[in-house]
Amino acid sequence: MNINIKDLYFTYPTGLEALKGINLTIESGEQVAIVGQNGAGKTTLARHFNGLLKPTSGSVSIGDWETTKYSTAKLASRVGYVFQNPDEQLFSRDVRTEVSFGPKNLGYSKEKIDELVKRALSLTELNGKTETNPYDLSPAWRKMVALASIIAMDTPIIIFDEPTTGQDALNVGRIARVIAELRHEGKTVITITHDIDFCAENFDRVIALAKGQVLLDGMTKDVLGEEETLAQTYVDPPQLTRLGKALGLKDTVTTQEEFLKAIMWG
Amino acid sequence: MAFVNIQNLTYKYPLTKEPVLKNINLQVQEGEFVSVIGPNGAGKSTLCYALAGFVPHFFKGEISGEIEVDGKLSSKSTLDEWVLNVGLAFQNPFNQISGAKYTVFEEIAFGLENIGVPRDEMKKRVEDAMSLTGISELADRSPYSLSGGQQQRVALTSILVMRPSLLVLDEPTSQMDPIGTREVFGVVRKMAEEGMTVMMVEHKVEWIANFADRVIALKDGQILLEGKPNEVLTSDVLVEHGFGVSRYTSTAREAKQRGLWKKNNLPVTLDEAVQGFKP
Amino acid sequence: MHERLSFHIKRDSFLHRLNPLTKLALTLALILLAFTFPWYWMPHLLALAAIIPLSLLGKVFREFMLTALRLIIPAAGFLFLMQAFFQPVGADVIFQFYFLDMTSESVLFAFRNAMRIVVMVSAFTLFLLTTHPSELMSDLTRRGLPGQFSYVIISTLQILPQMQTKAQTIISAQRSRGLDTESSFLKRAGSLIPLIGPLVFGSLVEVEERAIAIEARGFTSKHAKTSLHEIPDPAFDKSLRWVLFALIIASIGLNIWLS
Repeated sequence: MNINIKDLYFTYPTGLEALKGINLTIESGEQVAIVGQNGAGKTTLARHFNGLLKPTSGSVSIGDWETTKYSTAKLASRVGYVFQNPDEQLFSRDVRTEVSFGPKNLGYSKEKIDELVKRALSLTELNGKTETNPYDLSPAWRKMVALASIIAMDTPIIIFDEPTTGQDALNVGRIARVIAELRHEGKTVITITHDIDFCAENFDRVIALAKGQVLLDGMTKDVLGEEETLAQTYVDPPQLTRLGKALGLKDTVTTQEEFLKAIMWG
Repeated sequence: MAFVNIQNLTYKYPLTKEPVLKNINLQVQEGEFVSVIGPNGAGKSTLCYALAGFVPHFFKGEISGEIEVDGKLSSKSTLDEWVLNVGLAFQNPFNQISGAKYTVFEEIAFGLENIGVPRDEMKKRVEDAMSLTGISELADRSPYSLSGGQQQRVALTSILVMRPSLLVLDEPTSQMDPIGTREVFGVVRKMAEEGMTVMMVEHKVEWIANFADRVIALKDGQILLEGKPNEVLTSDVLVEHGFGVSRYTSTAREAKQRGLWKKNNLPVTLDEAVQGFKP
Repeated sequence: MHERLSFHIKRDSFLHRLNPLTKLALTLALILLAFTFPWYWMPHLLALAAIIPLSLLGKVFREFMLTALRLIIPAAGFLFLMQAFFQPVGADVIFQFYFLDMTSESVLFAFRNAMRIVVMVSAFTLFLLTTHPSELMSDLTRRGLPGQFSYVIISTLQILPQMQTKAQTIISAQRSRGLDTESSFLKRAGSLIPLIGPLVFGSLVEVEERAIAIEARGFTSKHAKTSLHEIPDPAFDKSLRWVLFALIIASIGLNIWLS
């Protein structure tokens, strides 16, 4: 299911022009990271994907649905959106009930719900915690519950808003595994992130926004190599990319394997 | 005699089953900049609260052992006296806005009003603190209108302006971009040079290695490792225990196995990595 | 997004420069005169000869008239109609609406009451437009109001709009999980728990952290507090307050004496 964005402009009621002419196509099954400084328009753009915000002008379509014609509750069957702060969505007395909330809203059969919840819980490594009250879990595990509650909706498109903020290395590893599994299942994953190393290691395509416009859009390696352009939106290239540059390597490297190969062959 | 002296500290919150801090022993010298790292749930924030007096004075719970700062014992002090000497800024900047003030300038002056600093001196101290942390241009904005990173700078400034002798910071840069992070580490380093003792919980190991004097690795309420930044941050023990390490470290470790890294020490910072990998 | 809950308009005017306590006294005087002075046209006179000139003097005429047109006059008009129809006084019926009678006495009665309300709300509006909440609280704290009390007032004023923003985020998060908040009333009622649960939990965490944050900044320190802003209280203000006080006493005295 493709996402098509045509001439998207968005102005907040306060008069703030957050998006100024965005044109993008995101194909089914792509893994896309959206980067850029605070206020560049990342969250504003992402909230157009499930109709939480509607274009001031231009259009956003999810498959054959134009977002202006559908409610967010309806679009939720195509686009799952994991909010940054799990505490702004968790309310159930146990993890299983919490994770079933989304699929229930989408009207799946009981068998289907059980199956989806089971899969989401095992993907997020929550199996041993299904009967726990989410608020008795640590913030790191609450984050995983929030992830599971969206994954269980089985939408073809999933959006993560700053998934790694405040997470330790263990949890970042878990989140990376979830994203890898979703990729394997052929889902479209779109992630807003500040964590540029995470972005380099888990996504094929990077879109850099600056001041409400697309600054760069392309293969991860090509975008993250553009050090000077990225500086316009206060993004530092990944650590290994900077190291590669400092060592004078010919090609841009973003991952450990690329780096090691490059220094081995000079 | 160390400026900060923690002896056999064990602490349990009223509602937790297990102690969150277990037999912590720690000494910090005056003017030292110590950084604390550790996975979620290691007890980092609790250690901060203990140094700042909120454990046990605010949270209650069961405590044993002693916390001594600048020759005074926490157990023999009241919280309102203790906070004059030990400043605390923590992670969530939004909840640190007092709510009592309408501008950033007033917000930063709030603490000085509470401790009765005369008006002229107050204005001077607020202005100095704001220029130190680079937020002078935010003076007339509402604290609520700021971005997370800006609010974190306001929270830090609000504590710096009180001039504590021990500064306790719990992930003060979590919502900042690379430039903001670099500046905050710079400011904290400068305060340490001027004699302020600093204890800072952080994830950003590259910056810790560049700026801190010593690193403490905390895990399950205990000190796992302690020492010079490069020593601690490149230790194999960290990886086994799920700590975040710098990409320079993990890549060089792999390179070492393949014979591509010849030095003894692994790198944490870009400079160290460039030195080691340079042909 | 709302930044704060305050009507204050920052200007430099005679009214803005008055001490907050003087303005409070002025507001009370206007209200008490409107309600107690034993002359039928007093509220009307105050509205025309005091409230409007004061709004000009305070350089907030435009903002004041906007509030008056949007809020005060419609509310007073409604009150007038209710009282004119339902007040069972007088026999001189001048207008009938089904079984409801409007008499000349009830119209006069309703007109005065409506004008009293106009004066009361207008006086408060002017007060809020020209007085910064933190100035008022600093001044009252200096005069002996407990610091905790003014903290609660000001922080509530500020935190309410923040709660609203937070509630909006929670609604967005749950709608993204397919919660239908836009259709029937019954469905909306059912969606309250997913909305209120996170709001309450979040507020508990917030309250605890905020308590720590202000404590860390010496909030309960036993030192005598100082204040960043100097709030002037010149002799003119003091005399003005005495004059207003005398007017209030005179009005109440007259009222009692004539009744």
